Amino acid sequence: MNGPVPRRGTAPRTVVVGAGLAGLVSAILLRRHGHQVVLVAKGLGGLQLSQGTIDVLGRLDGRLVDDPWAAFDELPDSHPYRRIGVEAVRRGVDVLAGLLGPDLLAPVGERNQLYPTAVGALRPTLVVPPSMAAGAARDGRRIVIVGIDQVKDFHPELVAGNLARTELPGGGRLQVRHASIDLGARPGEVDSSPVVYARALDQAHTREKFVRAVKAVAEPGEVIGLPAVLGVDDPLAWADLQQRIGQPVFEIALQPPSVPGMRFNQALLAHTRRERVRTMLGAEVIGLVNEGSTVTGVRVQTAGGERTIGCDHVVHAPGGFESGALAVDSHNRVSETIFGLPVTATDATELIHGDYWGAPQPLFEVGVRVDDQMRVLDDRGRAMYANLYAAGGILAGAIRWREKSGEGIALGSAVKAVDAITAGEDRP
Amino acid sequence: MTDDLNHARDELMRASLDHCVKCTICETQCPVARVTPLFPGPKFVGPQAERFRHGESVDESLDYCSGCGICTHVCPQGVKIAELNIMAKAVMKADQPPPVMKGLRDQVISRTTVMGKAMTPVAPVANAALGIGLLRKAVEKVVGVASGAPMPTARTETLRAWLRRRPAPPAATREPIVFFHGCAGGYFEVETSKRTIEVLEHLGFQVLVPKQGCCGLAQQSNGLFENARTSVLDLCDALRSVGKELTIVSSSGSCTGMLKHEAHHILGVDDPRLLDVGARIRETSEFLLELFESGEVLPEFRRVEATIPYHQPCQVKAQGMGMPALTLMEMVPGVRVVESGQPCCGIAGTYGLKEEKYDIAQAVGKPVFEMVKATNPDLATCDTETCRWQIEKGSGVRTVHPIELLHFALGLSDDLPL
Ligand SMILES: Cc1cc2nc3c(=O)[nH]c(=O)nc-3n(C[C@H](O)[C@H](O)[C@H](O)COP(=O)(O)OP(=O)(O)OC[C@H]3O[C@@H](n4cnc5c(N)ncnc54)[C@H](O)[C@@H]3O)c2cc1C
Ligand code: SF4
Ligand code: SF4
Repeated sequence: MNGPVPRRGTAPRTVVVGAGLAGLVSAILLRRHGHQVVLVAKGLGGLQLSQGTIDVLGRLDGRLVDDPWAAFDELPDSHPYRRIGVEAVRRGVDVLAGLLGPDLLAPVGERNQLYPTAVGALRPTLVVPPSMAAGAARDGRRIVIVGIDQVKDFHPELVAGNLARTELPGGGRLQVRHASIDLGARPGEVDSSPVVYARALDQAHTREKFVRAVKAVAEPGEVIGLPAVLGVDDPLAWADLQQRIGQPVFEIALQPPSVPGMRFNQALLAHTRRERVRTMLGAEVIGLVNEGSTVTGVRVQTAGGERTIGCDHVVHAPGGFESGALAVDSHNRVSETIFGLPVTATDATELIHGDYWGAPQPLFEVGVRVDDQMRVLDDRGRAMYANLYAAGGILAGAIRWREKSGEGIALGSAVKAVDAITAGEDRP
Repeated sequence: MTDDLNHARDELMRASLDHCVKCTICETQCPVARVTPLFPGPKFVGPQAERFRHGESVDESLDYCSGCGICTHVCPQGVKIAELNIMAKAVMKADQPPPVMKGLRDQVISRTTVMGKAMTPVAPVANAALGIGLLRKAVEKVVGVASGAPMPTARTETLRAWLRRRPAPPAATREPIVFFHGCAGGYFEVETSKRTIEVLEHLGFQVLVPKQGCCGLAQQSNGLFENARTSVLDLCDALRSVGKELTIVSSSGSCTGMLKHEAHHILGVDDPRLLDVGARIRETSEFLLELFESGEVLPEFRRVEATIPYHQPCQVKAQGMGMPALTLMEMVPGVRVVESGQPCCGIAGTYGLKEEKYDIAQAVGKPVFEMVKATNPDLATCDTETCRWQIEKGSGVRTVHPIELLHFALGLSDDLPL
């Protein structure tokens, strides 16, 4: 049973590799086009590690970008956005907004805004969840950052201090002070993970104490900044809390586990279940089966041995260095570890500088090159296979967390790959 | 210290710890940490505590890990967290033997065949005894099996007796295959085994059922590694005795996982007999889906208008094969499946039977019970026997293996409430 598995019916079958933003969105879109979709992922994707915002392009050459769409033209030709294009990224963002709905995502604007981080920096992004919207930095805004003693990874004094001393790009400052409350998530618990805290606040009956504690430290006219623990399964927990507190509140994403990212992840996984994406979680993709320049199957390592999944197309969205899809070995050789695809640089020696805290390592721009249909290219710039597409963190040419472009690249490339795969098919 | 535990110690030392990037994904998915502050979660008791263990047990909160394997299942870096925990638990048990009666309990509830054999001839008495509150309460006090915990219903006829008694099956039109029924499938969940055999025969296979013992999974999860190793290799011999190339099919979801990967990863069994059986075995739904999708056999299902709740057990999720049972049931015209979306029903093998874990197991399973009740008050589906007992007990809804639905849809039976 190791040959490509044929299948019932005539619907084309696509295998999607990876359960990050790029893989999940590709899989859902392909189902909507009537494809049979098998999504194979070694583990959960990176959304829970993200800020829970949609970054399209926040920084360019060290400066803040105001209008991300207008800045695409300034990017070098090697940047993935030059292949993807503004239109596909816009569509990708709209698709995600549709999937998450207004409870999880505020309306998509045209300009970046700055929002506070868990260390009190200001970070540009295009779209935020409604629970973060009141945190947008505006001159003169009065803010109180409220910590929770039991949530150890959030230091209100640090956040408030750094915010207060930051001059806003358009001039002016925030007026920020800090406070904290002492309220355990569960009886006797002195150290709660953000997720445990958020689950406690999912329960309407536990909210009353929280509301009282926050009200006791807030002053009239202040906007209240809290660590992002305001419910995880109930998307409107934060709104209920805000209403009961009677003042605007906003969430600040923490280091992993990120509750806002987890809300996105849960919502997208629920869509994949509803759409009957066949998800093989905990299975590792280890290779391809091909006939000439056509991929006919994907080899998967799972409990009990190898299986081959026959397919008509592959969307390869396994992330980058963080997820192990790209790696540097002890001889400084860079490789794509899953299909052995060509990468933009194979020798890491020149790409890692010794200044650990200095500029981002150029290594992180290494990845797989694609054409404008997202087909993976070989060393000579030709499509390696007619039906192998790549999306998300595996694409070369961007240092995502410096530019703040990770979600935009993932969404835009997913849309482009799905466009190419379904071109010529009858739209449902 | 026995050789078997030495393996556990060694593995713990050179385990996949350094792959952990502290992403916390496992923390957020652990069903036990979700419901109790007594358990700090997989990253802490697994890769993090392991650095301090040096082969010695440091943290007793580890005992609250149910071994469900969800953490390993979701870890994007391939850290075998649950496997580490189960090995560390076995070491802990050897270092600090549990009180005598609890030790005895762990021995008894992990000897599924013994329990089955002992209970079959006296099934009505055993059923009555297990159902009697007072007696169960006494059992809880003395040996620590929670009085509210689900217990199997013993049957009056074993699978073997049925195989001997029944009329000859129709002549086979396809190749022979081997059926592995597991202890539960031989003694308690006999109906699941019978119907699997009948479906396979209906599709043309010749079904071989060699005499077979226990896979040792329950012994393994109770830290009795030496017994587990003997059990699993004896079983491999039995399954290989009828043919060395044949596909092996099983409706016992968790025991299939034991043969596919757990005995190898947790007990450290490298024996070629195990690796051979592990590569040839397929869980029933996995096998049927592969078969139907190959186009070699097109099943003729009748229409069944029903909405069926389905929960995939943690130990079946851990096999990384997706949810073939769901796809398969929805091949029946009219059937819509509602999946629990939950990591675990709480029982995790024998965890939820223990008095000190009972409340935790119920809290873990609650969303599953509620989803089942809300979806269909008459019938639910789940691939593993202990999980079915747990779901039936928690929801009051009859819970069967997905094969029973297929058996019904193929017109081979009429006794499901559909
Ligand atoms: C710590 C960190 C901080 C970041 N900060 C920012 C930021 O501030 N702004 C920004 O714009 N971007 C940021 N990024 C980048 C951004 O998160 C990613 O670019 C984006 O999420 C990419 O998603 P993806 O779908 O491509 O991959 P991922 O989310 O990485 O998912 C990869 C998936 O592939 C699976 N996989 C990997 N290998 C295999 C295999 N062999 N077989 C099967 N499955 C496999 C994994 O299990 C996983 O499910 C950050 C990334 C990290 C890690
Ligand atoms: S999911 Fe894996 S890598 Fe992440 S914290 Fe847990 S063990 Fe470590
Ligand atoms: S095996 Fe299950 S209970 Fe144990 S740490 Fe992992 S997820 Fe939690």
